[in-house]
Amino acid sequence: MHALPPSRRALLAAALGCCAAPLALRAQPAPAASATSAAAALPRLVTVSGAITEVVYALGAEAQLAGTDTTSLYPAAALKTPKVGYLRQLSAEGVLSLRPDAVIATTEAGPPVVLDQLRGAGVKVELVPSEYTWDDVRRKVQAVGRAARREDAARALQARLDTEWAQLGREVAQAAAVRPAPRVLFVLSHGPSAQVGGQGTAGDALIRFAGGVNALTGFTGYRPMTAEALASSAPDFILTTEQGIEALGGPQKFWQRPELALTPAYQRRALIALDALLLMGFGPRLPQAVRALHARLYP
Amino acid sequence: MSASSGPARPGAGQTASAEGMAAPPPPPRSGRLLTPRGALALGLALVALAFVAGGASGAYPIAPAQLLRALAHAVSGTPPDTPQQLVFLNIRLPRLLLAAAAGAGLALAGALMQGLFRNPLADPGLVGISSGAALAAGLTIVLGPAWFPALPHALGSWTLMLTAFAGGLAVTGFIYRFAQGPAGTHVALMLLAGVAVNALAGAGLGYLNFMATDEQLRNIQFWLLGSLGGARWSAVALVTTVVALCCAAALAWARPLNAIALGEAQAALLGVHVERTKRAAVLITALAVGAITATTGIIGFVGLVAPHWVRLLTGPDHRVVLPCSALLGAALVLAADAMARTVVQPAELPLGVLTAAIGGPMFLWMLRHFRGRV
Amino acid sequence: MTLQCIDARVVAAGGRVLLGGISATLRPGRFTAILGPNGAGKSTLLSLLSAQRRPDAGQVLLDGQPLHALAPGALALRRAVMPQEGTVAFDFTVREVAELGRYPHRRQPDADEGGIVTQALQATGVAGLAQRIFNTLSGGEKARVHLARTLAQVWAPLPGGAARWLLLDEPTAALDLAHQHQALRLLRERAHAQGCGVVAVLHDLNLALRYADDVLLLAQGEAISLGPAPEVLTPGRIERLWGIACTQVRGRDGTVQYLFDQVSAESA
Repeated sequence: MHALPPSRRALLAAALGCCAAPLALRAQPAPAASATSAAAALPRLVTVSGAITEVVYALGAEAQLAGTDTTSLYPAAALKTPKVGYLRQLSAEGVLSLRPDAVIATTEAGPPVVLDQLRGAGVKVELVPSEYTWDDVRRKVQAVGRAARREDAARALQARLDTEWAQLGREVAQAAAVRPAPRVLFVLSHGPSAQVGGQGTAGDALIRFAGGVNALTGFTGYRPMTAEALASSAPDFILTTEQGIEALGGPQKFWQRPELALTPAYQRRALIALDALLLMGFGPRLPQAVRALHARLYP
Repeated sequence: MSASSGPARPGAGQTASAEGMAAPPPPPRSGRLLTPRGALALGLALVALAFVAGGASGAYPIAPAQLLRALAHAVSGTPPDTPQQLVFLNIRLPRLLLAAAAGAGLALAGALMQGLFRNPLADPGLVGISSGAALAAGLTIVLGPAWFPALPHALGSWTLMLTAFAGGLAVTGFIYRFAQGPAGTHVALMLLAGVAVNALAGAGLGYLNFMATDEQLRNIQFWLLGSLGGARWSAVALVTTVVALCCAAALAWARPLNAIALGEAQAALLGVHVERTKRAAVLITALAVGAITATTGIIGFVGLVAPHWVRLLTGPDHRVVLPCSALLGAALVLAADAMARTVVQPAELPLGVLTAAIGGPMFLWMLRHFRGRV
Repeated sequence: MTLQCIDARVVAAGGRVLLGGISATLRPGRFTAILGPNGAGKSTLLSLLSAQRRPDAGQVLLDGQPLHALAPGALALRRAVMPQEGTVAFDFTVREVAELGRYPHRRQPDADEGGIVTQALQATGVAGLAQRIFNTLSGGEKARVHLARTLAQVWAPLPGGAARWLLLDEPTAALDLAHQHQALRLLRERAHAQGCGVVAVLHDLNLALRYADDVLLLAQGEAISLGPAPEVLTPGRIERLWGIACTQVRGRDGTVQYLFDQVSAESA
């Protein structure tokens, strides 16, 4: 039995043909803009990232919501919308099968190829950057308002939120003028390992808004929580997520961490646990989150 | 029985020689279910079927007529005229090609590794390609933003693909060099070094997991689970070309691998360039699996299982096993990806989960069914 | 046309001398048996002759050319080696294993490759097992398949008429009585009728006396004697090297054979 020259050649030809084909095919441009949805109907939206989904509900535009991602957990109705996957691993066909006119996401959404494919299919993709400032919320509200063609409602919502925010800012300033700012440590734990947040993190911003001061200075981003990292921090409070505490098995388990044993927070078991999306989403509930934190910091 | 007589009738079966060499009883069938041509034909048919099935399935509904028209447009160079055709050409078709290329490359590499190590349990991961790529990807995801903030680090970015490819090649190169001795490449040493290096890479990845933020952790996890959705047309074209070239190149080493089944010493006595064969097998594996893993993350099980199935049906001749493994691997990944895209639509399941979920039980079934002959 | 060792020395890694300066000239058309007690260096010598091993000193020449100057592919066309044991990975059939012997001829296949393999299988009596999976055979059957493969490798005369060589390391080790004789008879025919040079390491002195033309006797890495079998294997030498007393007898066809007594008081 010898080699099979004819079959082998055929296979080679097929293989080469297969690799020539993709070079010939290239990403095709979208056809000229044809009338998509009727002018009267409001645009269909897919929102990626929990805070942006919250804005849609806050505007009362949930009827336009075709789908959300898996981080969109609030309000409860959002859990029942079709899910297009995790915000960093979206499915292009999945999103397109919901026939959206626009996709609104934070800049963390991905993969970038999928976003390009959505744009190529004629879907408006709007990405909102996260800088952990109040402007984040403004941008999200504006982006949703634009995409949903509910600019008036968006302006009204924005005005409401701005007022609330200004009021909150005054209260925090008043309280902070009277007492020294408490030192707060922001902890993000996933399982046995935990990280602490420095500058530029969601927790850091929240602490400042609520009138506290980050117990850790001198670095940006996250670091592993070790005794050395905490040595000079001396936090009065520890801020973390509810989900993280639950995963550990409760606050008692949290306080068993040896790194925390010498902190002032430990003496008083001063643990503040907020829902993860509320704490880090920077959506329309940001004033609510700051208020909750402020109340614990300045009882 | 004279050894110098003219050509005897081939396939004469029983021979009663003058000296009384015992005529054995009628031989049992060797049990090969498929001839080489039959196996190739079946492989091509399976790939075609899986391609069509994959082309027709997906979250976005596309009528078959639209598929055909889309292909017609692509071939003739005219732009597509409906959104359905667009979705097919821009989103679904590159995925199908990537699936076929990934499956073919992984299965081919598995067959090469099994031939090289003379062991049906060998798998492309043994020479460290996957773990090297994973470690490099993990480093890029976790340390990239801090060290090289200007470069993109998202899943599917060029940075991630290049570092994963480089990492895989570097680790394989290290293991290959480590196994060099005065008598050439010591295959057993390569295997053991691969085990140790894989463990090291795993430890490194574990440490990265420990250091990573939530979002980095998620990114690493998704990368490890494998996905075909994050690749651009250019990446797909590149991977398909690399895999096609690797498949063609590998065929030249089929007969030497057959001879190596007798043992490296015996193969050398038959005139096989054993060292060159080993180098070619490792290099082809590194290139194919490196390119695939860099683009798709880790897709497991295909490299281990596809050559097994082929061998169970056609026998171990590498001239058949190499091309048919590639075909079966392509069909397997096409089918798995079709399922990944539809089972939880509009979301997607990670591909690695499905290849193991499909591959594992079917492998067990085949082992049981053909138990007598393994 | 000869296969020669000239003062070939092989030293093991630890410094132990495996072969010390062996010189021997082997000719085609004759069956040469290499004999000697355990540790004499028989397998080492065979590996020198097959080019598996290079001598640390001295030369090994094939038709006057150093063995290692020949490309492995060219060498494989002229000489075939049957190893002492050979495991085969995966489930190759008997026929496929035998066909591997034709690998050196892949660039210039014979007009009837299939026929050659069939004849080789028939010659060693395993043609009926052709479709069996090799790894399911008994030890003796496997040995006969390897022998068929070795024969197939140098089955047809070479263009240009160079001599073909068969080098076998204990080809009868796994075979039963009848097959031992049949295999050696076959090898003898290849030498006489086909003009091959056959060199085989054997343990059984009586088989060597019956089938081999010449005997190369080794002991402790040294060549003791090379010549026609009955001249080399004298009772005195046998007693000196193996420590066994023996009595010469003649077979029905007049062949010298030995009857062995128990181990003598002073072993070699």
